[in-house]
Amino acid sequence: MTAFIILAILAIVGALGVVVARQPVHSALFLVANILSLAILYLLLSAEFLAVAQVIVYAGAIMVLFLFVVTLLTAGKEEGEPKEQLEGQRWIAGVLAVGVGIALAVLAIHHPGRAIASGLPHNFGNLHGMGLLLWGPDFLYVGAIALMLVTAAIGVLVLNRPVRRQAPRPQRRNEA
Amino acid sequence: MIGNVLLVVKILVLIAILMTGFAYTMLVERRFLGFFQLRLGPNRVGPGGLLQPLADGLKMALKEDLMPNGADPMVYRIAPVLSLFAALSVDAVIPFGAPIHLFGQTINLDIANPSIGLLIAFAFSSLGIYGLVLGGWASQNKYSLLGGIRASAQMISYELAMGLSVLGVLMMAGTANLEHIVYAQQARGWFIIPQVIPFVIYFITAIAETNRTPFDLPEAESELVAGYHTEYSGIRFAMYIIAEYINMLTVSGLAVTLFLGGWLGPSFLPPILWFVIKVALLVFVFIWIRATYPRFRYDKLMSFGWKVLLPISFLYFLGTAAFVSGLL
Repeated sequence: MTAFIILAILAIVGALGVVVARQPVHSALFLVANILSLAILYLLLSAEFLAVAQVIVYAGAIMVLFLFVVTLLTAGKEEGEPKEQLEGQRWIAGVLAVGVGIALAVLAIHHPGRAIASGLPHNFGNLHGMGLLLWGPDFLYVGAIALMLVTAAIGVLVLNRPVRRQAPRPQRRNEA
Repeated sequence: MIGNVLLVVKILVLIAILMTGFAYTMLVERRFLGFFQLRLGPNRVGPGGLLQPLADGLKMALKEDLMPNGADPMVYRIAPVLSLFAALSVDAVIPFGAPIHLFGQTINLDIANPSIGLLIAFAFSSLGIYGLVLGGWASQNKYSLLGGIRASAQMISYELAMGLSVLGVLMMAGTANLEHIVYAQQARGWFIIPQVIPFVIYFITAIAETNRTPFDLPEAESELVAGYHTEYSGIRFAMYIIAEYINMLTVSGLAVTLFLGGWLGPSFLPPILWFVIKVALLVFVFIWIRATYPRFRYDKLMSFGWKVLLPISFLYFLGTAAFVSGLL
């Protein structure tokens, strides 16, 4: 109980710090503190694989990329938002995002995780138990998330495709 | 009760071993670099220079701890501590030898033996980047910043290939527990034999993860003064250096555990000595490579990581998966 209270306070302070801090790098650091305290909370819930995945993926990779961008951005001056290249993509993206959210919710209601029906297996939370659940009865979720991630990757490629410009005609120079 | 006392004793002993290991790895590296470059190296303090690390430590501890005017004080002070913490904590899960029996107690030669030990080692080592990035940013100096940014890009890129190269061992052993991985090698032979390509990739990425030549772009002295630790001095500078060397020992220890049979070896030497000998050999290769190869160019480093190491380790990982699952 004491451990939970201490970790909860740390997590809340971290979350508040993200919003309150003036300096983007400080915000990122508060977020890291939040992520790490959440990881230890997972550990207390005997979800050890989730805890380690939280540290490796969020604290170790995503937040480092975040810091990479933030340190680069705060070093130079800010620029205005670039002009949108795809007309109306924000609206379509919003509608589609809501649709996907509804689809996921329906999926969760109709096919709840197998562990809810059958009770927790004895090895729940460690690598073995987690893998058996995810790649066995609950594979639907892995598939859904894989689809979303692939969409995100394709989206990045589309948004960052090189701008096609009318190249100015090279003028022939008279070398007389 | 006795378990807790034992734990504290083990932690203190491990830190003492790592610190001594760091000090003498550094001395050995300087001596060997001297021989590689046809000069003597530090040999004045004590017999054969053996007391040089003590003198260096004293000098570092007594030096003034400087901080630039524009620096972010909190982050600047905390960054090297993060680096050192991440470096030290990884070693907690590495088994240094077979369990020994002492005074009626069975003592495991590691601090903790979790079932996902390998993942925990990776989790802690992935936190080590923060020290470099934050130190570079907090110094408010463009060379430091560039060093920190390079460090984050390089370590994230090479971490992927490193993780993939280890997955083969994970699948062959069928467990992520480091002690069980060693026992699996007792039964089936060292994993370096079926996994020699992943071992080479692991070693290359390990050099990059520890920021050593030829991958020491974050502290390239010819372009960035000293990179992320340009502004640091005294004990905080020492923390960065300690972290680098302990990381070197750690990745060697992990390589030995995963690929080279851990503490296993013929019985005329005790298991822990076999472990030390193997780690020492790998550390020597680290030094040898440093003395041999020049530094990579930055874009070459990135394309090497993403276009060569990552695809090869991924293909080998797929092949191992097919083999282990019985498809091949």
